[in-house]
Amino acid sequence: MKPLKIGITGVRGLVGETFTPEVAVGFSQAFGTYLDGGRILVCRDPRPSGPMVLAAVTAGLLAAGCEVIDLGIAPTPSLQLAITWLKADGGIAITAGHNPSQWNALKFVRGDGLYLNSMQAEELLDIFHQGEFAKAGWDRIQPALKYQDPIAHHIQQLNEVFDVAAIKERRLKVAVDCCNGASSRLIPRWLQEIGCEVLAINDDIRAAFPHHPEPKPENMAQLSAVVKAGAADVGFAHDADGERLGIVTELGQPLSEELTFALATRIRLEQKTGTVVTNISTTGAIEEIASAHGATVARTPVGQTFISEALLDLNGVIGGEGSGGVTVPEVHSTHDSAAAVGLILEGLARGGRPISSLVAELPQLTMLKHNFSVEPNRLYSVLQNFRVNVEREHLNYDLTDGIRVVLPEGWVHVRASNTESMIRLIVEAGDPAQAHFLLDWARDILNK
Amino acid sequence: MRAIPTLKISISGVRGVVGESLTPTLLTRFAQAFGTYVGRGTIVIGRDPRTSGEMVKQAVIAGLLSSGCRVVDIGMCPVPTIQLLVRQRRAQGGIAITASHNPAEWNALKFIGSDGLFLDSGKAREMLDIYHQGEYTKVAGAEMREVEEVSGATDLHIEKILEVLGPLPRSAKPLRVVLDSCNGAGSLVGPRLLERMGVEVVPINVTPNGLFPRPAEPLAENLGDLCAAVREHGADVGFAQDMDADRLAIVSEQGIAIGEDYTLVLASLYVLGKELGPVVANLSSTSVLQAVAKRFATSLFLTRIGEVNVTEKMVKEAAVIGGEGNGGVIYPRINFARDSLVGMALVLHLLAETGESITEVVKSLPVFHLIKEKLVCPSHKISAVMRMLRQEYADYPLDLRDGVKVTLPNGWFLVRGSNTEPIIRVIAEAKDETTARAIVAGIYGKVQTCISS
Repeated sequence: MKPLKIGITGVRGLVGETFTPEVAVGFSQAFGTYLDGGRILVCRDPRPSGPMVLAAVTAGLLAAGCEVIDLGIAPTPSLQLAITWLKADGGIAITAGHNPSQWNALKFVRGDGLYLNSMQAEELLDIFHQGEFAKAGWDRIQPALKYQDPIAHHIQQLNEVFDVAAIKERRLKVAVDCCNGASSRLIPRWLQEIGCEVLAINDDIRAAFPHHPEPKPENMAQLSAVVKAGAADVGFAHDADGERLGIVTELGQPLSEELTFALATRIRLEQKTGTVVTNISTTGAIEEIASAHGATVARTPVGQTFISEALLDLNGVIGGEGSGGVTVPEVHSTHDSAAAVGLILEGLARGGRPISSLVAELPQLTMLKHNFSVEPNRLYSVLQNFRVNVEREHLNYDLTDGIRVVLPEGWVHVRASNTESMIRLIVEAGDPAQAHFLLDWARDILNK
Repeated sequence: MRAIPTLKISISGVRGVVGESLTPTLLTRFAQAFGTYVGRGTIVIGRDPRTSGEMVKQAVIAGLLSSGCRVVDIGMCPVPTIQLLVRQRRAQGGIAITASHNPAEWNALKFIGSDGLFLDSGKAREMLDIYHQGEYTKVAGAEMREVEEVSGATDLHIEKILEVLGPLPRSAKPLRVVLDSCNGAGSLVGPRLLERMGVEVVPINVTPNGLFPRPAEPLAENLGDLCAAVREHGADVGFAQDMDADRLAIVSEQGIAIGEDYTLVLASLYVLGKELGPVVANLSSTSVLQAVAKRFATSLFLTRIGEVNVTEKMVKEAAVIGGEGNGGVIYPRINFARDSLVGMALVLHLLAETGESITEVVKSLPVFHLIKEKLVCPSHKISAVMRMLRQEYADYPLDLRDGVKVTLPNGWFLVRGSNTEPIIRVIAEAKDETTARAIVAGIYGKVQTCISS
């Protein structure tokens, strides 16, 4: 089966195969129908299919009677911030985020700058499938596009939240790898403005992705080399649309993406304690860090909107997840790699300690991940089968999202990916041996 | 009776009503089918100023990029500018986004081949087969090409006209022209061309905002404002363009619309005076054109109706001028396309070089009266009507290449079924209006009997 994933995070697929202009037109017209017209912002990351998808999206939105403001190549969080600024009713970010360059996707943003939640996404899907879209007549259709650059506004928001004076004072040397993604337009410029010495690589939006855009240790070798060669205080790796962040310490050590949120939580809770919001497959280190600071942790299903909405409900102080996505609510209630950078730089500037020593104090747990490609029509029977096995062994489990099993050695989480046709298996335990034991146990059941 | 569909997919392109049948999904599929047909080349696109133009353009861009084409977007411009650019860029093709003279709620795609001509019926059918088959070329992201936005395409068009025709002869008093662009694609480029030619321009309806100040066809009955403006400003001539600036109608210095048939007549008078060669027009052209050809002792070829039929014949006969009776002038030394800008330039050269007024030029030609009418006729009766006419007029010279054309002792008429509406079109010409009306009345009687039988 060809990969086209229509789900609550939007629609995602391979360009040249399943992600056709018709799909993009149809979803955009459905979104315009869902919002009943109004002002819609669009932005894209720099992958080569971007102009095609943008044209299709624009056509669909205009046909549905929307006013379209094109923000150009910009991080998705810049669009989300611009929604309020430009008094828009919604937005579509054209980006496959951390997926390789042959992918593309539409992410739907609502009038408060957050992604659609699962109920809203299902409503949108129903409109899409029904295929009866709003169609503006000649006297209502918008005859032209409007343009706006959201980068300066994003920078202004960041400067209002973070202690720019303290960061300037420290004259931090910061290496950044923008993966030639949308962050190339934001991060180097902002860091220079706030007095950092910037060593930027892969910050050319006209060039191809130099490596896989997921900010994981295996994709951070180049950044690590720059940190070492340039004696930088820290290195930051961004995905294609500026949501996820990976970190390299001043020693040139690339950190697991799981540690981005753990480190951010620690820095945040030292400034201000309160509820931490994360999803159920993120490291248990978060609970340990929270309890050390007298804070509580709320766990949500996997999906950014769950975290965003819980943060608002619980008035949380930080949100995030193991993929490297961090939300600093003072900036906005959604993942933003620039906000994560701001928080970490603020922590480094105020604390005066090297980042490696902060990392050394984080709880040392072992997390292992494994993905199984499963045909879309078999995803849920595989999950159901896992659940039956767990019940048979009378284990303690949680069905917030997929199946999360708590065992004496640690925990195991099995769920269907929101973005690809695969089962994601995550285990965490106190040491590598126990983690491998859990991984093998779960893998055996899933392979049955 | 069921509603007449507003979507028309035919060999002349795809046409529909925005907000109803002309959806972005349909448009993006058509663009993919065209991209698949021409095969990953450069495609020039442009549009007229309709309010739906941007939506249609974006859908077309998405489809073309997806099928691996490189897009040259020349923005809002006359259709002939797109055709000129296709040749100038050696592009694989072009798409004109315009519903020409249709009202504001319509839009359409018209497909242009690498020769700058609209796809002929054979090519158009091949492209339609690809569209219906639904299997389009889809390139992977990394192979996707870009959109080049070109802003100076109309300047290039103007330069080409000035270069080929040269300057107007110097005169003590420059010609004064009122230009009515119908707020169409000619709104921006028309006044610039006329200024560059050194004439005084009084522009009206030159705000390309997609709102139609008058019905878009440059028929005499739609040109009241232009006629008044010509009189008010004491102009030497009034020019009326249609929405996509391929057709041109002329108003005399007396403020009288002389009829769109005369545009090709006047252009031919000038061109044949400079360069002798065959003239090509379609079956519905006025007999005045025959008289002009006779005056210069050259031949006139009449083709089936449709721009592409005229251009093909022009190529074959090495014609020096050609066009259609609806005001479309084709002057191959500038552009193998119906081009109102070229038409204006040729007529101004005629006026400036002869020193005559429009009225004097028209008076020097034999007088004919041309009537164009539509008659409601159910689609399923059209072929019966045609058969009846063939039989009824079997004793006269018949031309059956396109409908039924009959040459009578006192004039001629042409009857064609429309492929877009349940009507038949009747064109008749005679020495005077009474005779022409009598011819039409004769046909009407026979047609009514045939329909009701």
